[in-house]
Amino acid sequence: MQIQLKCSCGEGSCPEWAIIELQGVVEVQPDFQEQLKNLKIGQICRSSEDTYTFTIGYHELTGSKVPMKKPLLVLKKIKKNIEDNADTNPSNPFKMELEVIGIIRHKILFKTRPKALITRPQPVVKERKQSSKSGITEMERAC
Amino acid sequence: MEMEKHLNCSRGGAESVLGLKPSSSLSIAYHPEYGPHNDIVLLELDEKLLPDVFNQRVFIRGQPDDDAVLCTQSKTYAVKFVGTSNSVCLVPPSNQSGMRRKLQDHEENGCDLERASVIKLAPGSMEIVEIAPRLDKLKSLLSQAPYGIEDASEMEVEGLGRDEKGLYKWGDLVNEIQASDEELKSGLQSLSAFEIDGYWRLLDETYMDMILKMLLHNCVLLDWTLNALDEDEVLGVLESDGFPRKVAHHCLSVYGDKLQEGGCKPFWKLNDKRVSVHFARSVLREAEGNMKMERFLDEWRRKVPIGMETSLEILEGEILTEKIGIEIWIRAFRASSLPSAAADRFSILFKERPRWDWKDLQPYIRDLNIPGVSLEGLLLKYTRRVQSSSHEEPVFTAR
Repeated sequence: MQIQLKCSCGEGSCPEWAIIELQGVVEVQPDFQEQLKNLKIGQICRSSEDTYTFTIGYHELTGSKVPMKKPLLVLKKIKKNIEDNADTNPSNPFKMELEVIGIIRHKILFKTRPKALITRPQPVVKERKQSSKSGITEMERAC
Repeated sequence: MEMEKHLNCSRGGAESVLGLKPSSSLSIAYHPEYGPHNDIVLLELDEKLLPDVFNQRVFIRGQPDDDAVLCTQSKTYAVKFVGTSNSVCLVPPSNQSGMRRKLQDHEENGCDLERASVIKLAPGSMEIVEIAPRLDKLKSLLSQAPYGIEDASEMEVEGLGRDEKGLYKWGDLVNEIQASDEELKSGLQSLSAFEIDGYWRLLDETYMDMILKMLLHNCVLLDWTLNALDEDEVLGVLESDGFPRKVAHHCLSVYGDKLQEGGCKPFWKLNDKRVSVHFARSVLREAEGNMKMERFLDEWRRKVPIGMETSLEILEGEILTEKIGIEIWIRAFRASSLPSAAADRFSILFKERPRWDWKDLQPYIRDLNIPGVSLEGLLLKYTRRVQSSSHEEPVFTAR
């Protein structure tokens, strides 16, 4: 079989996606593991021209924006069912297509180990409530 | 209240992340549609291949049990998954499906405008590396049902359901063969395949032999010159001899070269080497195994038209010779029948002969084409070079 890489966007207008990459794993508090959708992970701050910080719970990561060595295409697998395809290839129950839905040229890379924040930023009552909702407390170094 | 406000609030996407201004900040959250999204994959490509992608000239090819390859119009690449232990958070642009609606719903809720959402964690990405096309299967597919005398006579019976078993159209081949279009075309050409009634076929060797003999016979009979055959006339006569015009034309293109002259009528010149090799093959096929060199040369020269070359050099990559006692024996061993993967190729060669002189070995490996690896590199990897003294020819053995 063959799968064509489809692209409806064209070179100039291919939507750009972003990657936020960090070492290890963001661990979510057990209470929130089933409700990740919409949960806040943290705050990215571009503190200077080249420096980005990512604050997750009590931890702070330092990183920078780096161009990808080679661009990454974001592809979406689309399965088409047999009716669309019965004439051209009856032996194949479905036809797979890959649609290019985006391209990634840059990522914000946080390659340092997390630094523990000793005092919590803005310990306002409202903020505290929000942070506990996020419940992200731990960064694990995995590599 | 705070929690309520943040539900389904997904303003800002990749562009907010990438365009973040110095001294400003952005909330990062899980996307309202966050999940494993196994249907979304990342593919790393060279910048120079992007135009091919955007013009929809790139295909993934292979059967379910093959390792997938990616093909552009002219090249083939192996695809492999490279995993990562980092957390790679994918942030889509803000105008992804469903987002506009939610944006409207919640704009007035006063949610945090500077916020970008992570749709999934990517476990890694696909990478590609250029490889030689996997064409070995092409020969085995097309060899199932070569075009022969039965096909030629069948053509006259119109309307009968054709048995399509073992027959392949171009569209079938691209589904089966892991090669780019250009590589597949040149693979078909090097097999001397031709397209007839919509199918790509090999011509049965004995049938081919019949046509070539009839052509040469006609040359003598009708006093044609082998260096300037009038295409219309040749095809017309062969047709009246019972060979379909298209098949006769294919025969001309296999054994002849079209003359690029200004005239309006196409002319062909028979290619001495190809005609001679054809008859050498047919002598060896009839012998079904080893034959004494003298007898071979005798029979070969009798079959080849007078004036055509019959030196053993033109049979490089077609035959192997062996000295037994005082006699030299010859047998067919075709380079074109060997597998194209280097490891398989060398394993068959060393099974055939444990030791190879360079001059014997060279015709059987010169077509090996592995991107990024030279022939010397292949020899280092798959052979042991033995040279007893500096003025002697090296001998290659299995590693």
